[in-house]
Amino acid sequence: MNPVRKQEKRSRGGLAITKGRFVLSVTIPLLLYESLGIFVLGWAFLLMFFDYSSGRLGGPILGLGGTNPFVGLDNFIEMVRGTSVEAGLFRTSLKNTLIFAFAVLPLNLAITLPMAYMLESIGERFKALYRTIYFLPVLTSSVGVALIWMSMYDPQAGWINAIIRMFGGQPVVWLSDPNAGFAGVSVAMWAVIVAYLWQDYGYNMVIFIAALQAIPQELKDSALIDGATPWKAFTKITLPLIRPTMLFVCVMTMLSSFQVFDIIQVMTNGDPGNQTQVLMLDIYKNAFRYQRLGWAAAESFILFLIVMGVTLFQMRVLRTDWEY
Amino acid sequence: MSTGTLPLAPARTSKAHRPEFLRHIAFYIFLTLGLSFTLLPFIMMILGSLKTNVEVLRVPPTFLPENPTLNNYLTIFNDPKLPLLRFYANSAFVAIFNVTTTLFTSALVGYMFAKFEFPGKRALFGWFLTLMMIPSHITMIPSFLILAKLHLINSLWGLVIFSAVDAFGIFMMRQFCETLPNELIDAARIDGASEWQIFLRVILPQLSAPLATLGILGFMGNWNAYLWPMIVLQKIEVRTLPIILTWYNSTHTGQGGLIMAATVLIVLPILLVLAYFQRWIVKGFVTSGFK
Repeated sequence: MNPVRKQEKRSRGGLAITKGRFVLSVTIPLLLYESLGIFVLGWAFLLMFFDYSSGRLGGPILGLGGTNPFVGLDNFIEMVRGTSVEAGLFRTSLKNTLIFAFAVLPLNLAITLPMAYMLESIGERFKALYRTIYFLPVLTSSVGVALIWMSMYDPQAGWINAIIRMFGGQPVVWLSDPNAGFAGVSVAMWAVIVAYLWQDYGYNMVIFIAALQAIPQELKDSALIDGATPWKAFTKITLPLIRPTMLFVCVMTMLSSFQVFDIIQVMTNGDPGNQTQVLMLDIYKNAFRYQRLGWAAAESFILFLIVMGVTLFQMRVLRTDWEY
Repeated sequence: MSTGTLPLAPARTSKAHRPEFLRHIAFYIFLTLGLSFTLLPFIMMILGSLKTNVEVLRVPPTFLPENPTLNNYLTIFNDPKLPLLRFYANSAFVAIFNVTTTLFTSALVGYMFAKFEFPGKRALFGWFLTLMMIPSHITMIPSFLILAKLHLINSLWGLVIFSAVDAFGIFMMRQFCETLPNELIDAARIDGASEWQIFLRVILPQLSAPLATLGILGFMGNWNAYLWPMIVLQKIEVRTLPIILTWYNSTHTGQGGLIMAATVLIVLPILLVLAYFQRWIVKGFVTSGFK
């Protein structure tokens, strides 16, 4: 055999070995680390079938069994039709989470889509400045957002009531009046929804702006030249073209509002009278304040199913991609 | 509007010009209203921090502070129970450590998934995709129990050990690595570089732009994280900034000026930094679609 070819062959074999070594040196630590992740997931799965409290010693393996007895599906049965305080609170939390998410979504879209459209059509110089400012709350820590809004919601010295008084209205106890409501939803819930919207709208705005910018200018122009009104051009051309973005934004907004925690925990901590108790807050309190970890794990699983459902829906619907 | 050479075009534009002009005026009015709504809470925060605790409680509230004072800030700086620098250091440690490790692992693993063939690759990648979709509240409880067993509650290391690998980062880096030409890697191999040298000297520099985007997103997420640090860090000295802020709020009720000053000190510096990098953050959000 030709010595040159032989050498080439050997080096090719050598290359396969060095490549293989590299892959192993990356995948082995990675797999070890990820097995920790699998272990954690498995544990989370087991916990929801136990009456587990971190205050009790329990059985020999992971503290399961013994004084932390296996209860099968009891946690879930209790959630659906139990009469205990925590079962009632779970159902309240689920209801509040749905109210929160389904109030946030349309309000968010009603703000962000028109604003993004307007921003997209004004002069370049202002566009950058406006967008930067609209985006500031997204970058702000939600604890900061909560504290700022708490000071504005203050019943006596807060600015919002000052404006209401200025127009001759009655001041509102925004965050702690259990009897105040508007459109069937408690005032405290509306108050946290507004603070949440304020923090969040910049995010969807930039997503919409990016989608609007991706539409070729000729498409919009040709419609206008053909005599369409700007409104018609928007509804007949722009809206259908950004449909995938719309769906995406809806799903992302739903997902994050189903898992809302920070703002509500700081502003109301679920009060007044559990009217703003959302699922994440209920899970947190059960797990880390009342030591009902099995129950909290079962609640987490329900929230997981909701989140998963929304995600799968997104993947089904978004599979058809638009081309233009 | 493109007028072209159509003889009709000038007449049309002049007719269309007026309503469009009016439309833009309306747009500016709406956008400026929204802008004020967005900025006002920030302004309230800063103005509130300059008021005395007595003035903050006044009904009706004053807009501008009557006697602007920096006393609130001085109180905080001189409060031995609130060593802000220490809490800044805690937050910085967690954020920088987590960002560095995830950037490294994301680049490395993403590169491997993009440019190497090995048995089980698809299964492994599928597992990562699955991990990406599992919300953190599912793993929160067992992770806490593990930390308790390892005596890492109240330790900043507790915020670090579960955060070395980021499935989303790997996903993003793999996509980017796939666009890198194979010739680049082969040329380095012919020059006798080892696989690790290729990764560190050839691939990593090529990844600087997406790594910067990923890094600033990760930094923001870590810096503003609230729930998990609150669970892990129960002792005051080890806390990160957001949990310190809520603790300060709950121990100084009724002292609105002080609380706003603390909020300014904890929220504003990092907000300015993030606003400076806003372009990258927006790009990261838009291209990845993740918060």
